[in-house]
Amino acid sequence: MTQQNIASGELVDEATLTLDELARACSVETNWVIERIESGLLADGSPYVASWRFTSHDLTRARRMYRLERDFEAAPELAALATDLIEENQRLKSRLRAAELRDT
Amino acid sequence: MEFKDYYQVLGVAKAATADEVKKAYRKLARQFHPDVSKEPDAERRMQEINEAKAVLSDPEKRLAYDQLAEQHHAGQDFQPSPEWDAGFEYRGRGFEEADLGEFSDFFANLFGQSGRGGRGGRDYQMRGEDRHAKVVIDLEDAYHGAVRAMTLQVPQVDAQGRVASRAHTLNVRIPKGVKAGQHIRLSGQGSPGVGGGPAGDLFLEIHFTPDPRYQIEGRDIHQKVPVTPWEAALGASIETSTPSGVVKVKVPAGSQSGRRLRLKGRGIPGAEPGDLYITLEVVLPPANTDKARELYETMARELAFDPRQRTGG
Repeated sequence: MTQQNIASGELVDEATLTLDELARACSVETNWVIERIESGLLADGSPYVASWRFTSHDLTRARRMYRLERDFEAAPELAALATDLIEENQRLKSRLRAAELRDT
Repeated sequence: MEFKDYYQVLGVAKAATADEVKKAYRKLARQFHPDVSKEPDAERRMQEINEAKAVLSDPEKRLAYDQLAEQHHAGQDFQPSPEWDAGFEYRGRGFEEADLGEFSDFFANLFGQSGRGGRGGRDYQMRGEDRHAKVVIDLEDAYHGAVRAMTLQVPQVDAQGRVASRAHTLNVRIPKGVKAGQHIRLSGQGSPGVGGGPAGDLFLEIHFTPDPRYQIEGRDIHQKVPVTPWEAALGASIETSTPSGVVKVKVPAGSQSGRRLRLKGRGIPGAEPGDLYITLEVVLPPANTDKARELYETMARELAFDPRQRTGG
């Protein structure tokens, strides 16, 4: 079944997500997001909910934290710690690949 | 629809205690969790494991499932009757909203709201859930934009209230300037709503096809370009292909292998475009003809050059 017309979406980051949109995209309650922002586990911890806007990175991070919490019954802090390490690992791998290209 | 043996998925006996189910689940989660696993089909396995745990760790669902399992075995074709779980009571809804998209048709039919249609038909509206998918594009697509066809499995409810996945092909416009890990949001392309509620959104996460020529860091691109010894020594204007097409690059005189040149703004486009980093790689011509050997010998004779002098080697 082919849909002929072309679906044009918006690029998250240029248009950032609201709190509700982020929560919905992660299948969590908004409180889940708020608690993790207030405890500094997610985004930059701005105290004004109304101005909270979320990027692609926040979305990836929130979904990963949620999966880790759910699948391992992990405390939010532990899931955030594992997420920090996964992100750091990905950053280093990508820098390593670029460096290998440079050095060999 | 195939019957799923959830005990087999978790590798536990039919008589396994709640504690044993939990232990088996945790062990498999450690092995197959897509965020930490190196197994190739981790995502699919984790979904199966989560589904098995959702049923076997819930005493009510497990009891209902066990009764079905007495008459079926894994892989057998299977259609539940609408009243298959008559006599069993569930606390609240049979499933979490988030589960339907992630779990199999088998699960959705047994425990999904729609699978139990006809009983206590609730008159409520619900927005469809958001869905997520990965889309792999070529680096060139990020430079120029593109339209890519992608096929997603979408759960659909038929007139009998059964859930079946249907392949849905979508032509998606990839906007110019996307980065790896960035999302494209397609409004209304997620799961359909319930009772006339709006459909959810579809989030596409961008990944690039691995290309040995390029390394990507955010919007910056790294690329190796081979040059001849005379181009590197004397300087030259060379042409090289980049993700944005063939460009002219000025190689400064006195370049060595490994020298990095930055082509500002030649990375992935955007409000702040990335840069293209070119690493020069000096490639020696082989000394496989008399002429070539003669030239090398002339250099050896005429050039006072010892690359090990500085290293003391």
